[in-house]
Amino acid sequence: MAGDAELVRRCLDGERAAWDELVEQYSRYVYAIAHQGYRLRGPDAEDAFQEVFLRVYDRLGSLRDPEALRPWIAQLTRRVCLDRLAAAGRDEPSDLEPTGVEQTMEDLDEAFAVREALGELPEECQEVLDRFFCRDESYRTIGEELGIPSGTIASRISRCLGKLRERFEGRNEPPGGSGEVKA
Amino acid sequence: MSSSPIQGAGFAAAQAAADAARLVATVARETDGWPRAAGVAAQATALADRLDELAREDAEAFAAALAALEASSGDLTIRMDRAAEVPLEITRTAADVCETAALVAERCDGVLRADAAGAAALASGAAVATAHLVRANLVVSPDDPRLVQALRAVDDARFWTKRALDAGA
Repeated sequence: MAGDAELVRRCLDGERAAWDELVEQYSRYVYAIAHQGYRLRGPDAEDAFQEVFLRVYDRLGSLRDPEALRPWIAQLTRRVCLDRLAAAGRDEPSDLEPTGVEQTMEDLDEAFAVREALGELPEECQEVLDRFFCRDESYRTIGEELGIPSGTIASRISRCLGKLRERFEGRNEPPGGSGEVKA
Repeated sequence: MSSSPIQGAGFAAAQAAADAARLVATVARETDGWPRAAGVAAQATALADRLDELAREDAEAFAAALAALEASSGDLTIRMDRAAEVPLEITRTAADVCETAALVAERCDGVLRADAAGAAALASGAAVATAHLVRANLVVSPDDPRLVQALRAVDDARFWTKRALDAGA
């Protein structure tokens, strides 16, 4: 997976495939913020989703630190969601931020970072971790499906988790950019 | 049809296996000098979480099946099927706890080995109990694939429990 800075550069160079990649990479993240963080549903969530990527398209050139693409998109999404809530009739700004939204954002950021780190692992590790942790498959099922000898699955999962941890910790040190846009 | 959850043998077995999995996680975390200990602890914790959820599902499925049986309702077969599927999943997951426990028992600090082995034995008992629930289900025949799978999981559970008990013996 290319880094965000490279992705931003390609988008700003006008590469159509890069825009597709950006949307693909961040669509679930944006939708999750709208849905889980701000509890937008149905057409409201869809409209917010469209509006976020329109703003990304219009304003990507204002992003100061291309490595801070994710926090920048998160901030855009939050503003769009607040606009939707305001348009729905609640006009007191202090009422707009749903309870627990900060914790939801932290959880989503962590989940997204883990997912990114997972994408950098060897294919066999991605597969075995996805099957165990996301699909709740048993050791036996995983072994049979992937042709891995019985009795080695638990060990293999722990080895892959070790690799994931290395990737994840590598991503998080030293701290990245601020995510701020130009004033 | 709605009914209050009933905490029967499937619920109790899932809870016991969940406790066993948490014990395995604790032993792994307490083991020094094993690079994969954290990964194994994470697996055991995931198994415990899964078993907690299965305990809740079993209580609901069991209650729904009993209610359907008493009322001779039209969805009786569906309810009974569900009441067999959840214990089967508990059996499989408990067998995985046994395997994880064996892995830990063979590598953990000696003073903690008995705890890992004990966890395997507990989870193995849970696997036996829930496989029996699959067998006892009214819609499960002796050659039903679910029963075959449950008994195979019990074999796995026993195999890994023996490994855990033999570790360091």
